[in-house]
Formats: sequence, C-alpha cells, structure tokens
Amino acid sequence: MRPSARRGRALAVGVLLVGSLGGCGVLPPLPDPVPSDIVPSAAADLSPAAGGDALSPDGFDAVERMAVRIRNVGCEELSTGSGFAVDEHTLITNKHVVADSKELEVSTYDGHDITVGATSTAGLADLAVVRTTDPLPSHPQLADADPGPGDPVTVVGYPAGGELTVTEGEVMGSTRDPLNANLGEVLLTDAPVEPGSSGSAALDARGHVIGVVYAKTADDNSLLVPLSTLQEMLADDTAFTPAKGC
Amino acid sequence: MTEAPVVVAPGPAPVPGPRRGSRWLAILLVATIAVGAYLWVTTLRWQSTSAQWEEKAHEYADEVASLRMQLDGASSELEAARDQLSTATARITDLANEKAQLGDENVASQQILDYQTQVSTAAAAVASALGQCVSGQEQLVGYLKDAHQYQAADLRRYERQVNALCDDAEQANQALQRELQP
Repeated sequence: MRPSARRGRALAVGVLLVGSLGGCGVLPPLPDPVPSDIVPSAAADLSPAAGGDALSPDGFDAVERMAVRIRNVGCEELSTGSGFAVDEHTLITNKHVVADSKELEVSTYDGHDITVGATSTAGLADLAVVRTTDPLPSHPQLADADPGPGDPVTVVGYPAGGELTVTEGEVMGSTRDPLNANLGEVLLTDAPVEPGSSGSAALDARGHVIGVVYAKTADDNSLLVPLSTLQEMLADDTAFTPAKGC
Repeated sequence: MTEAPVVVAPGPAPVPGPRRGSRWLAILLVATIAVGAYLWVTTLRWQSTSAQWEEKAHEYADEVASLRMQLDGASSELEAARDQLSTATARITDLANEKAQLGDENVASQQILDYQTQVSTAAAAVASALGQCVSGQEQLVGYLKDAHQYQAADLRRYERQVNALCDDAEQANQALQRELQP
C-alpha cells in the first residue's frame, strides 16, 4: 500500500475516533426525575394578611372612627360641635363648643354614646380637652409640622350637627386670627365647613392631624388652629383649666 | 582495478497488517454502538419524562381552570360583600345621625318642658300674689267700713302693706307677661 493511502485511512479513523469521543461531550444528559410537586410556596408579600393594619374592623376608615359628635346641653339652649380623639380617653375640640355647658353628650361615628369625664379649656386658644370614661374607637397621629400652602387637607366632622362628613381642600396659608380667639397665626384652608364643624380634625394626606377647625370665614373658607399651637398647649400643663359650666 | 559498485537491494517495506486496521475499526464500532445505546436510553428517558411532564401539565391546567372558576366566584362574592358593607356602613351612618337628631330633639323638648314648667310655676306664683292682693284689698275695704273701730295708724300701715303686696304682684305679673310675649 502506498504511504499516501495509509495516511488517509489513519486520518479518517482518527477523525471518526475524535468525533466519537468528542461527541460524548455534547450528548444530551439523562433527564432529572419529575418532581412530585412543583407548586412554589407563597411569597411573603402576597400573604392575605399583608397590609392588614389598614383594614377597618367594620368598614369605616380610621378618619371616620376617630371623629365624635358633641352635644352641648346648656342651661338654656342646645348646640352641637365636633371633636376627635388623640388617645384612648382624650378628645380635642374647641373651647366655644363646650362653653356654658350643663352637660356634654358625646357619640361616635356609629352612634355609640361615650361617657364624658372632666373638661378643660385653653386660655390662649380656641381649644378644649375632654376626658372620657369610655374608650374611644380610634385616634390619629399628630403630624410632624404645620402644613404649607398648597398641601391637601381633609376635614372630618359633623357640619350643622348632621351626619359624619368628610370634606377636602387645600391649605391656603396662615393668617392672623380674625376672631382674636387664638394667640398667634392660624391656618386658612378652602375645605368647606359649616357651623357644627367646629372641633373637627384637619388631616394631611397621610391622615395625620395638622390642625383643628374652629371657624368659617365670610367667603366660605375655613380657619384652623394649627398643629403647632395644639402641641404647645398639650405640652403645657398650665394651658388648660377646668371648664366652667353654666 | 575498479571496484564494482555495491548495490544493495532494498528490503521489504513494513506493511501495516490488516490486523492493526481492524483493531481501530473495532474500537470505532464499539464506541459508536456505545454512543448509540446511550442515545437510545436517553431518548427513552426523555420520552418518559416528557410524558410525565405533559400529564402533570394537564393536571395543573385542570387545577388552574378550577381555581380560576373559584376565583371568579370568590371575586363576585367579594364584590357583593363590598357592596353590602358599603350599604351597611351608610345605613349605620344614617342610623347614628337619626339617633343624634332624636337626641337633640329630646334635649330640646326637655328644655322647652323645663321652661314651660318654670313659666307655669311663675304664673302660679303671680296668680297667688294677685289673689293675696285682692284678699288684702277686700280686707282693707272691710276695715275701712268700720274705720271707727280701728286706729287710724293701724289702718294706714295695713293699707301700705296691701299696696306693697299688690305692687309686687303687679310687677311679677308684668314680668310674666313680658316673658310670655313671643
């Protein structure tokens, strides 16, 4: 046999051998056994309980649950106002809502009557603190600071002594108190209020208290005792004195 | 003398034996058979696995279809429950308001009742005072008819007392009339 033929056959055998052995590297592997269950476990953030804190136990949201209606039974006349809880046994409202009172009657969003204890009024602001014997259903947090112009505001109360109402608007700015009922400046908003809304909580977009409604202007804007004044009064033990009845 | 060139006849070239080529071919054949067998087994295993996966896919597809139906039903129930909750909360708000209005009316009625009671009490007092005034005046008239039997100073003192009583009664009556005016 000629050398060239031998080389050709050897080359062919080599190529086949290399191809066969090299092919083993690209051969498909055997399949893994089929698992009995391929359902993944539920992700934690998809749990039905996620965000459960925001759920209400009875369909009313937190801003409605913390509002109360105040009936001031005076010696000669009857008036109504609004208020809101700041803790389980403390209400905030206006001084003029509880003034000249023989008896205060407080009811919640769902009509429950709340037994009232002592009432105190502030000397330098149209604010009053009412202690309750019965626990209040819910109370909001106070905001970190006073709002600025353009910030949204939500007012929750009982305008005209009617049913619980939520109105919205924007903070227009601060102004001097036209009624001289408060020391320092007060907030002006365009959230609609009516007589009976006095003492309503004014809330920011997160549901935190930014002020207390105390009056309505002639051009249908609303005036708030700002959060800073409320905080100063609450921090001062001498700011509130027992209310005088009629 | 010239030496004849030495000619060396070449020896026989080494001839690769047919045995060596056959060995390579045998190795190649064995390797090919092994690879083929492996591929055959692999194919069977993949076919089996594929069938199992397909069966499992059908099971899960059926389960998904069932869960979708349940989800649709649950979503409908949830929507209905939300509507009911919304209606219930609105009704609770209405009832709370109705209760508050009734409470206001009760308090207002009680205040009116208290006022009317005070007015009635005042009217009774006024009527009593006026009656005492009339009685005093009648008594005074009687005394004056028999004035010679009494001291003049006593009659004048009694007359002042009756006049004071009647003035008080008249003032009380006028105050009551002012109070009763709408």
